[in-house]
Amino acid sequence: MSVFRSVAVTACLFLAACTTTNTRLADKSPTKPAAGAKILIVQPDIELGLLTVTGIQEARADWSTQARGNIKRELEEAATAKSHVFRSLDPTSVEDPRALQLLRLHEAVGNSIRGFNYGLYSLPTKKSFDWTLGNGTQTLAQAYDADYALFTYGRGAYSSGGRKAAMVGAALLGVSMPMAQQYAFTSLVDLKTGKVVWFNVAVAGTDSDMRSPEGAETFAKALLKDAPL
Amino acid sequence: MIRTNVVRLLAASALLMSLSACVSVTSAPAGPYKIGTATVTLGHEWSDISAIMFARPAKVRLLSMDGPLLNRLYVTDGLAPGEFMVKPAAKERPTPTYRAGMAPTELVEFVTDSVAALDYQRVETDNLRPAKVGSADGLRFDLKAKTKEGLDISGAAQVAEVKGKLYVVLFLAPSEHYFAAELPEVETVLGSVKVG
Amino acid sequence: MPRVLRPRAKGLALLAAAVLAVAPAGAQPRAPHLRPTDTSDEGGIWALSEKAELAARQSVERNRDPALNAYVTGVVAKLAPEYQGDIRVYVMDRPFFNAQMALNGYGEVWSGLLLRVQSEDELAFVLGHEVGHFAENHSIEAYRTLKARLGATMAVQFAVAAVAMGAAVNAGSAQGANDIMRAAGALNDLLYLGQLAAYFGYSRENEVEADSLGFKRAVAAGYDPAAGATLWRSLIAETGSSSFKRVRDQEARANIFSTHPVSSERVKALDDLAARTPTKASTADRKAYRAVIRPHLAAWLKDDLRRRDYGQSLALIDRLAAEGEDQGLLTFYRAEAYRQRRGEGDLELARKAYAQAGTYPDAPVSTWRTLGDLALQAGDRPGAKTAYETYLARAPQAQDRWLVEASLKKLSEGSAT
Repeated sequence: MSVFRSVAVTACLFLAACTTTNTRLADKSPTKPAAGAKILIVQPDIELGLLTVTGIQEARADWSTQARGNIKRELEEAATAKSHVFRSLDPTSVEDPRALQLLRLHEAVGNSIRGFNYGLYSLPTKKSFDWTLGNGTQTLAQAYDADYALFTYGRGAYSSGGRKAAMVGAALLGVSMPMAQQYAFTSLVDLKTGKVVWFNVAVAGTDSDMRSPEGAETFAKALLKDAPL
Repeated sequence: MIRTNVVRLLAASALLMSLSACVSVTSAPAGPYKIGTATVTLGHEWSDISAIMFARPAKVRLLSMDGPLLNRLYVTDGLAPGEFMVKPAAKERPTPTYRAGMAPTELVEFVTDSVAALDYQRVETDNLRPAKVGSADGLRFDLKAKTKEGLDISGAAQVAEVKGKLYVVLFLAPSEHYFAAELPEVETVLGSVKVG
Repeated sequence: MPRVLRPRAKGLALLAAAVLAVAPAGAQPRAPHLRPTDTSDEGGIWALSEKAELAARQSVERNRDPALNAYVTGVVAKLAPEYQGDIRVYVMDRPFFNAQMALNGYGEVWSGLLLRVQSEDELAFVLGHEVGHFAENHSIEAYRTLKARLGATMAVQFAVAAVAMGAAVNAGSAQGANDIMRAAGALNDLLYLGQLAAYFGYSRENEVEADSLGFKRAVAAGYDPAAGATLWRSLIAETGSSSFKRVRDQEARANIFSTHPVSSERVKALDDLAARTPTKASTADRKAYRAVIRPHLAAWLKDDLRRRDYGQSLALIDRLAAEGEDQGLLTFYRAEAYRQRRGEGDLELARKAYAQAGTYPDAPVSTWRTLGDLALQAGDRPGAKTAYETYLARAPQAQDRWLVEASLKKLSEGSAT
């Protein structure tokens, strides 16, 4: 019966202390980018807010800026740690129409991967992890002198104190209240072919609050788990 | 009061959970694919995402390879006068309906206004040409549009009236890579429409 | 909950200055060149407005015509010289009467508004009204009222609505997955109207105040004092002509997110203000304003017809035709409205209107092709033949030439269509 289901679901979420991740690899054993590969790190698109008891999400500029900065730093460190060379790209500064189309196409591909590889439904025509932006990405490769591009996208909210209290009350009534969540996805795209060689969705747990440098480190590590870097 | 809201919520979530058990994405294998009185021939397997399409009219099916953000192949059964291709979100925002005796440009307008009702922007048509659906004279045309996010979309459409009903096939995909990738297959599908 | 007439508009009319905590209405207006601190909720909304502005700048719906944008910016500059450099206005191609101004000075003016004001004076009044909201920080009051009001009501109820609007982040939910397309949209929900609409619900007092502030600014800039009342009156009349009961019931709004209609009391207040103001006799120059929007008339009317509210569209076209200009184009769109409405007797009305449009030099060439199509539908074969032949003569390079020639051939062979 749905009452017990919703209580059970809420209880599970309350217990989830650890960050959960879910990686998808294009190949079972992908060819890792060679040392010194040039990786274009697209500045993370992250928006965080405060989820109040009434369900309004209040945008928090400071959290979003912190998270963006923290995650970006972690990604750059991870890239250099594997002796790759990174370049940074601020998507808001892009003017070239083709590049803009590719960035928007990536958003569509990323959301499709989220929808069909992580959602409730899968596509019969997508039995293997085989997603691409098409070889138009070569324009990005040339424009930014890069072999790969690493995109990060994050959305989330943190519950206010009032909301946390309300949620416990709601759960006791057998009603599930939408829980504040923070999630992000990253994708690594081979700019020569446009193929998404690696994709990961990470849902943050209490130990990986990306607003703090330590939490961001944990979260970014979860995001980049199994990245063929 | 509290009780009515909780009851409403529980009813809603029960409905959602039972709904999600029933609907699914199925395979549309290569070969004949039937939609009511119409049949098209698919050159390769497609995914039938009709069931998870939001507010779908019963006579419209949606096939895809990579999901609706990356390719959409709409195929309809014969729409009777008064019927729409896109379900309106509200009474105050009606969508185009088919009418008997429409002029060719009105048939094109029916499709472009339906595409606009799907929230595509700046919908334009080009290259209007004749097409044959069985013995019926149909129309074939190309489309250009943009998503709200600014992604360029290309389209290919075909309409034909058979025995007083309108049969539509419409393919929409991002201009970057995805439209060209399936266009040969789409041309085959367009040419394969059979009614009755 | 505020009713959302048209989703996806961005921008907030929420304002807060770093100086003000809770400023009652009528306190000192916003000082120029302000920026709030990052950690306040005002700061969060400022950043959101910046992001919304970026999205508006890159938006597909943006009207990029430099002349038009410069014109609108020029009017705002006349109205708000002290905020020079603080305000940036973007023209958006959206067929609804709307203008708004966000916390960071980013403003939008929609094509539906530019189509409906009949003179620069009327435009100045409505822009002055929005600048009034901006200058008096009405939006921060609106936001705080909303927070306070919702806290008292059922939190559960709003949460359900929030989920339905895609406001909550619930990536793995059944509802999200049930509609992949909407789930994808919900990822950008921070910028979506469903969230921000809450911030536009000004109180009735603030709306009345903005009317008077708009009036004062417009008059100070030399505009016709009667313009505000005239504009509100025509808006009320047009909304009253809507084909949809819900639109008629909701009545005219100054701003589509506003929860308070433009009432007869507000019109009377503006009449009283105008009566007390010695007119500096800038008679609203309608022809000059029409010249500014003329290049966009056809596209905007086409967009307006897409809404399929023929009652409103026809009322709008009647008003546009009042000065006797652009008769060919306007009569053509009147005909289009009848043709698309397809009510009882509309076929005849449409045929008459297309024929009438054709008597003016500025009628679009498709007038004759459509005349031919409708003549066929009405069974008037000679009429269809004449119209099609006229069309081909006037549009020798037409893309659909082959279609019209085929129809003519069938006509001469004696078969229908």
